[in-house]
Amino acid sequence: MRQLGSRWAGAAVGFIRACVVGFLRACVVVVVSMLVPAVWAAAVGLGIWWGAGNPWSWVAPCVLVTVGALTLSRPVCQLVRFLVARWTATAIPAGYRQAGPVTRMSTGYWWNGFSYERTSRDALLDQKWRLRWRDPANWRDLRFTAVVPLTAGVVAALPPAGVAAAVLGLGRPEPVARVVGALGLVLAVASAPYAWRPLRPVAVRFLRPSPAMELADRVDELTAQRADTTIAQAAEIRRIERDLHDGAQARLVALGLALATAEKLMRTDPDQARELLREARAGAAASLAEMRELVRGISPPVLNERGLVDAVRALALDSPLDVAVTADAPLHLDPPIESAVYFGVAELLTNAVRHAQASRARICLTRDEAGLVAEVEDDGRGGADIRSGGGLDGLRRRLAVFDGTVEITSPSGGPTRVTMAVPCESS
Amino acid sequence: MRIVVAEDLYLLRDGMVRLIEACGHQVVATAATGPETLEALRTWRPDVSVIDVRMPPNQSDEGLRAALAARSEMPGLPVLILSQHVEQLYARELLADGSGGVGYLLKESVFDADQFLDALERVAAGGTAMDPAVIAKLLSTGSPNQSLDRLTEREHSVLALMAEGLSNQAIGHRLFLSEGTISKYTTSLFAKLGLTDDDNSNRRVRAVLAYLNKP
Repeated sequence: MRQLGSRWAGAAVGFIRACVVGFLRACVVVVVSMLVPAVWAAAVGLGIWWGAGNPWSWVAPCVLVTVGALTLSRPVCQLVRFLVARWTATAIPAGYRQAGPVTRMSTGYWWNGFSYERTSRDALLDQKWRLRWRDPANWRDLRFTAVVPLTAGVVAALPPAGVAAAVLGLGRPEPVARVVGALGLVLAVASAPYAWRPLRPVAVRFLRPSPAMELADRVDELTAQRADTTIAQAAEIRRIERDLHDGAQARLVALGLALATAEKLMRTDPDQARELLREARAGAAASLAEMRELVRGISPPVLNERGLVDAVRALALDSPLDVAVTADAPLHLDPPIESAVYFGVAELLTNAVRHAQASRARICLTRDEAGLVAEVEDDGRGGADIRSGGGLDGLRRRLAVFDGTVEITSPSGGPTRVTMAVPCESS
Repeated sequence: MRIVVAEDLYLLRDGMVRLIEACGHQVVATAATGPETLEALRTWRPDVSVIDVRMPPNQSDEGLRAALAARSEMPGLPVLILSQHVEQLYARELLADGSGGVGYLLKESVFDADQFLDALERVAAGGTAMDPAVIAKLLSTGSPNQSLDRLTEREHSVLALMAEGLSNQAIGHRLFLSEGTISKYTTSLFAKLGLTDDDNSNRRVRAVLAYLNKP
C-alpha cells in the first residue's frame, strides 16, 4: 500500500515538474514568437494614436514594421534554433552564407569576394553588409517569423492564457466568471507539459536551408574545389617540367656532348674516347633511373599494369613496415579514382613511417553499394589530425574532387585509422 | 643458345636481336604481343627467352603473364624478364614455383653487354638473375623470416649477392674475398637456412626464396 502511495507521489511530482517546466518553456516560446507581431501591433497602435485620418501618420509605422521585421527575423530564428537544440537536441543547420577571406591584392586594394576597397576595414564592413542582405536565408527567416506566431506561438499561448483567465475569473464574485476561471486553470494545467512542443516540427520544417540555399552552398563548394584542382594541376605540371628540364633533358645534352667528344677523340686518343663512352653509358642509366622515379610519381606503372589492388600490394611490399593487405576481388574503377586512392594509401603509409613511427599497418580495400572504401590502420603513436594546408588536408581535397571523404581517428598514443570513401558506380 | 625475344617496341627488339646475335647466339623467334610470346615459347621451347613485361594488346603485364603461363605448362622454362621498372610483387610471382631459371632485370641492364649475356647464360643454366634494386628493397624491408635472423652480417651480404644470381667467384670479386672464403659462407648459410645438399644451383634458388619469405 505504501509502495503504491509512493509511486503515486512520484508520478505526481513528475507531472508537476513537467507542468512547471512546460509552462516556462511555453512562456519563452510565446515571447520569442510574438516579438515581431508585437512590433507590428505597436506600429499599428502608433498609427491609430497619431490619428487614422491623416495619411502621413502611417509612414512612420510602415517604416517601423519593415525595419523591425528585417532586423528581428534573424535573431528570432537563431534564438529558436538555439532553444530547439537545447530542449530537444535537434540540430537544425542554419545555412547562412559564410564570409570568404579578405585578401590584399598586388594593387594594394582589398578584395572581399564582392568588391575592391581601400582598407581592410572597409572591405570587411562591405562584405558583412552584402552577406547580410544578399543572403537567400533572409527570405526563409522572414517566412518563419510570419509562420511561427500562427502555429507554435498560438499553441504555446494556451497555458499563459489559461492562467490569466484563472487569475482574472477566480477573483470575481460572478459564478460565470468563476466557471470560466476554473476552466482556464484546468486548460493551463492540462496543456502546460505539451504546449511548447509544436515549436520543434515547425522549426524543422521552416528553418532548415531551402533547396536554393543548398544549391548555392554546393556551387560555392564546387567553385572552391575547381580552384584547388586547377592550382594543384598547374603545380604538378610545373614540377614535371622542372624535373625533366633539370634532370633527363640536361643529362641527354651531356650524353650528346660526351658522344660528340668521343667521336672526335676516336682517332687521336682512343683510351680517352673509351672512357667518355663509359661515362655516357653511366649517364644514360642515371637518366633512366630519374625518369623512372618521375614516372612513378605521375602514374605508377604497376597501377596501369595490374590495377589498384596489386599496386597497393606492391606498395605494401616496398614499405619498411609489416603491412597486411586485404581486398575484395579485383576492383574495376575509373583510372582517376584508382590513382587518387593509390596516392592516398601511399601518403598514409609514408605518414605511418615518418610521423607515427609505426611498425605494422593494415590496409583494407572494400567495395560497398555506395563506392570504394579504403582503410589504412597503423600501430603508431597517433595524434594525427587534418591541419589546414597539411598532408591530410591535401588528401582530403584530392578526394573531395570525386566527392570522396576522409575520416581520421587517431587518439594520442595510437592507433591511427584513416578511412577514405569514394562514391563510384559498381561495375 | 636458341633464344626468343619478346618486345613490342621495334627499335628495342631489333637492338636486342643484334646484340644477342653479335655474341654468337641464335634468335629463333621474336614476338611483339602477349599471345605471340606464349605461342613462340610453346613452339620453340627456347634455351632462354627475353621478355618485356608490358606489351600489346592491353599494354598491361601481358609479357609477364605469358611467361608465367608458359612456365606453368613447361616447368623450369628459363625466362629473363626485362622491364622499365622493377617490383618485388613481380619478382615473388616469378620465383614462386621455386624451379629456378628466372631473371628479372631493368631494361638498362643491356647497356653492359657482358653482364647481360652473363645473366642470360645464368638463367639458361637454371640459375637466377635478379635486379639489385629488387634485392636492395628486400634487404631494407627486413624479412620476418626467423631463420634469416640467425645469419651474420657477412652471410647476409653474401646471400643478397647470391639472390642477384651471382656465382661464388663473382661474389668474391665484389666483396674482395677469395672464392674459398665465399664458399665457406655459403655452406654455413645453407645450413642455417636448413637447405640440404642436393643440386647446387637449385639450392641457390631456394636460398633466394628463403629471402623472399617463401620457404
